Amino acid sequence: MAAKKILVADDESHILHVVSLKLRNAGFEVLTAADGQEALELAQAQRPDLLITDYHMPQLSGLELCQKLKQDPATAGIPTIMLTARGYQLDPKDTQESGIARMLSKPFSPRNLLTAVNEVLLEAAA
Amino acid sequence: MTLQAQERPLGAAGGTYCVPAAVLDNLAARVRACGLFLMLLDKDGSVVWHDPQAAMFFHRYVLPLVQYGDPTDPGLVERIRKLGANSSVTAWNTFPGVILAVFPCVERRQIGGFVVLAGRSVDFNLSEEVLRVCSRLGLDAAWLRQQAEELIAYNDQAIQRQARLVTGMLEDQMRLAGLASELNSLSGHLANAYEELSLIYQISGGMRINRPANDFFKQACLDVLEVMGVQGLGVALSGETLPGHEPLLYGALSLPPGTVHRLAEQLIPMLRERKGPLLVNDLVADKSLDWLAKHVHQLMAVPLQRQDMVMGCLFALNKSGGDFDSQDSKLLNSIANESAIYLENAILFDDAHGLMMGLLHSLTSAVDAKDAYTCGHSERVALLGRQLSLEAGMGEAFGERAYMTGLLHDVGKIGVPESVLQKTGRLTPEEFEQMKKHPAIGARILQDIKQISDLIPGVLHHHERYDGRGYPAGLIAENIPLMGRIICLADCFDAMTSNRTYRKAMPLEVALTEIRRCSGTQFDPSLTEAFLRIGAEKFRQLLAANPGRVRHLGELQQGLRCA
Repeated sequence: MAAKKILVADDESHILHVVSLKLRNAGFEVLTAADGQEALELAQAQRPDLLITDYHMPQLSGLELCQKLKQDPATAGIPTIMLTARGYQLDPKDTQESGIARMLSKPFSPRNLLTAVNEVLLEAAA
Repeated sequence: MTLQAQERPLGAAGGTYCVPAAVLDNLAARVRACGLFLMLLDKDGSVVWHDPQAAMFFHRYVLPLVQYGDPTDPGLVERIRKLGANSSVTAWNTFPGVILAVFPCVERRQIGGFVVLAGRSVDFNLSEEVLRVCSRLGLDAAWLRQQAEELIAYNDQAIQRQARLVTGMLEDQMRLAGLASELNSLSGHLANAYEELSLIYQISGGMRINRPANDFFKQACLDVLEVMGVQGLGVALSGETLPGHEPLLYGALSLPPGTVHRLAEQLIPMLRERKGPLLVNDLVADKSLDWLAKHVHQLMAVPLQRQDMVMGCLFALNKSGGDFDSQDSKLLNSIANESAIYLENAILFDDAHGLMMGLLHSLTSAVDAKDAYTCGHSERVALLGRQLSLEAGMGEAFGERAYMTGLLHDVGKIGVPESVLQKTGRLTPEEFEQMKKHPAIGARILQDIKQISDLIPGVLHHHERYDGRGYPAGLIAENIPLMGRIICLADCFDAMTSNRTYRKAMPLEVALTEIRRCSGTQFDPSLTEAFLRIGAEKFRQLLAANPGRVRHLGELQQGLRCA
């Protein structure tokens, strides 16, 4: 079975490095984007199995990114894990409507992130 | 021996060279485009890597010559060995029709190997030497010339120029490869830091002061267990820190009974002495704990301490896949520091409450001392009041307030003359008026202790009657504070079932019938119902409660957690 492809979007490069390292070590193929617009283009071109995105990003916020992906039938099915600042709450309505499967607050545990990735991929396959 | 038989796999996957394989691939592709052939030789001059996609001329003609030498000129290896770490690019015409450029790869001022660039020499022709090599290698000379003609021809200067470019590229690529591996390592450390930070957030979030210590430590141990990848994680507290505490061990590791106790008893003094964490990766070699080596091979213990006082320790047993390292010790230390703050606060909390409860019991004892016949009455009313509160569904916290109100309900009797309190006959109206003052006196005694000011209504109104004919205020029904109604029931019931100077105790069943009879007149009907649900067995137990003695400290602490 081919490795699952995961797109990670965050404007903080250290987050990209930490997440990529953890995911690559776990056998995933990882794509990275440094802002929402780049993530959108990459998602459309590469059709990842999962998106991990920060909420606060230049160009396009994490939520706007999810909403754009949701509008296109080709990318509407990509499940998302959203990273947010600690204590930050998203409107549950937005979360549901944008295909956000999990929310993790920073600083998150990379181990918990990996668990969430596996769970979400399993849910998506079911 | 034929040359074929000597051949061995070159640049086999998994080999480590002084230059990373990815860098070699990258460089080889560039020099290939210039008609050159890239090889990597080790310190002894053996070829360890070569461009696998090189032109036939290089593969069939140059590579065997470099690998096995030309019998007429075995000097390549000799010449290479003479190169120093500072040697610049050298061009050699060692083999007929071939031109070589060689430079050393230097790693930390040591030669790690040599990079060799090979090109077709401008002088290539089917000379005698070339023909001789062809026949030795089993090559068709005409075919070789054809192959050679497709390649760019190099002279000394040209190949040296290319080689200098390659030197620079190699340096850049090595620097990039170094940075990439550094970045990976930093990301790994960062991931660990994130893990640690999120764990500490999680544990701090669980630091509620009124949470039982065992509960807090269980959660902390389970969290750390997962992050650290150890077989066992435990906590031990000294006897002075938390009396009656049992050392705990969580995780997959199962030890014979008593092992954890013995370990805990030994660890705390050891940590006190060494004033720092203990890390043993080989218990067999470490004599101090060799009795444990049968079950455990690695151990790390860090003290739970505030200032210089070691209150206990956290310990981790058997790290999965490797030894305990400084990373693990740093993590366990951070957790221990967090836990120590929690522990110290929990102890202060317990101390403060222990002090308060001690004082409340002293007050109660003072009342009981004035009126020997009611000895133990306050304690029993306290227990009955708590039981009734629980039965009526008020919850644990309310039950504890009822217990404390029960203890204090008669504290005002301190202000009533002993002649009245201890009189065996009927009280005169004047004496009765004096007696009726005790709830108000009690309320005044308590009003200055702000932590228990919420108990005052219960104390002040425990002689009110549901029908309004009680004292001191004559309040009716729900106007009487709930705590007053509860203590009233408990107080009357205990009075009926106790011996008094003027009458003998009523049997339990008679007393309960009397309570039922007075429901709605003296007592709150719904509370009466709840009271009667308590059951004879429980009543006997409550009434038998040992009077005049402060309850065991452990029981107190447990009770206070709910307050």
